[in-house]
Amino acid sequence: MPKRPEPETGPVAPARGGRAAAAPPGGADPTTDAARQRLALAQTALLSALLAGTPDPEGFDRARLRVQSRALTAKRADVVAKVAPELPGILGPAYREAFLGYARHRPMGGGYRQDAMGFAAYLLDRGRPEDPAARRELRRWRRERARRRPASARPLARLVRALRQALLPG
Amino acid sequence: MQHLGTGIGWRPEIADAIAELPGVDWVEVVAENICPGHLPDALRELRARGTTVIPHGVSLGLGGADRPDTGRLTALAERATALDAPLVSEHIAFVRAGGPLTASPRMEAGHLLPVPRTRDALDVLCENVRIAQDALPVPLALENIAALINWPGEELTEARFLTELVERTGVRLLIDVANLHTNHVNRGEDPAVALDGLPLEALAYVHVAGGVERDGVWHDSHAHPVTRPVLDVLAALCARTTPPGVLLERDEDFPGYGELAGELDAIRRVRKEACRAEAA
Repeated sequence: MPKRPEPETGPVAPARGGRAAAAPPGGADPTTDAARQRLALAQTALLSALLAGTPDPEGFDRARLRVQSRALTAKRADVVAKVAPELPGILGPAYREAFLGYARHRPMGGGYRQDAMGFAAYLLDRGRPEDPAARRELRRWRRERARRRPASARPLARLVRALRQALLPG
Repeated sequence: MQHLGTGIGWRPEIADAIAELPGVDWVEVVAENICPGHLPDALRELRARGTTVIPHGVSLGLGGADRPDTGRLTALAERATALDAPLVSEHIAFVRAGGPLTASPRMEAGHLLPVPRTRDALDVLCENVRIAQDALPVPLALENIAALINWPGEELTEARFLTELVERTGVRLLIDVANLHTNHVNRGEDPAVALDGLPLEALAYVHVAGGVERDGVWHDSHAHPVTRPVLDVLAALCARTTPPGVLLERDEDFPGYGELAGELDAIRRVRKEACRAEAA
């Protein structure tokens, strides 16, 4: 038995999507525009300090910002290594430091696959890795990745998959 | 609120163990990691056995300044339908910034970041939640996140912020007790005080996860065993209400069957003891 019984006429009266019955219909509410603008500026200032090394916004604990910043970059390096395991494979133990160098002033703008490609381009533009064989391998990897497109972007593949789903039982 | 029972976060790395674990009533799956037309066999088997599967989104960023992206909302709705889920969950967080409102390039955090507890942020969040609710076929539950940083100039306590959010939108809550512990260590926020102020009648379910303390900072890693202080927060929550569901999350350094079974047992014990204390 819950120790706090549910109120009989509480705010939680879920209809479709769990909306409170009294809430106005959804969609854009222009009255939040000013709040959105202020929030956008605050969140952007924080995120660019964390991801791009711009000056810390006022009032934050600087030491904590550094901890958060390092945690974000470390996670990004881990996820990129997962979606493109060839990169740590080619770079070996130098992967992490090289990635941190790349990420320091380059916030991720798209997904992790795009980030992996950006990292490869960053290295190759700087004549890295220094070992010519590794550089060749990285160039080959980048070429092959660039050619590969996500399946959902190919109309024919999408059609084939839709047909297969429609025709197969269960 | 629908009864869910004891569950575990489904990840491909522990799919075999989950299939064998006794008494797993339900699982949660990271919404962005599955494709509605190509559900992994192991998940389909769980569904066939009657195990409830709930999609848990991480990329909507409902606490962000922009209105939620229609494509992302549609994708989450499709997953809820494909899994026949009774509800979906997301986070009270922002995950990206920049873009047209700020005349700067768009940036992805790749992680959940805390929303400032201000009137502005609450107004924006409430509208974003209503937009999401209209796009989803089932109720939405939102999770409190673990934070390393504090926003300056906050106007509301966590409890006030969440209570108003629930009152204004009817959204349900997913309370992560590990995150309450994180905010205790990192921001000095007493979990008992937080629990006392939360609108627990809106509770959909509870998350439990492990982490590690380094240099006085709690890292909610989901890669370490569940610790006693986190179970103590669960017990404190169970002393106040009976959660419809409790779910164990593990995302990295996956342990074997034995350790997972032990952690699920520890969670069941906490719930049982809370029931017994209430009966006494």
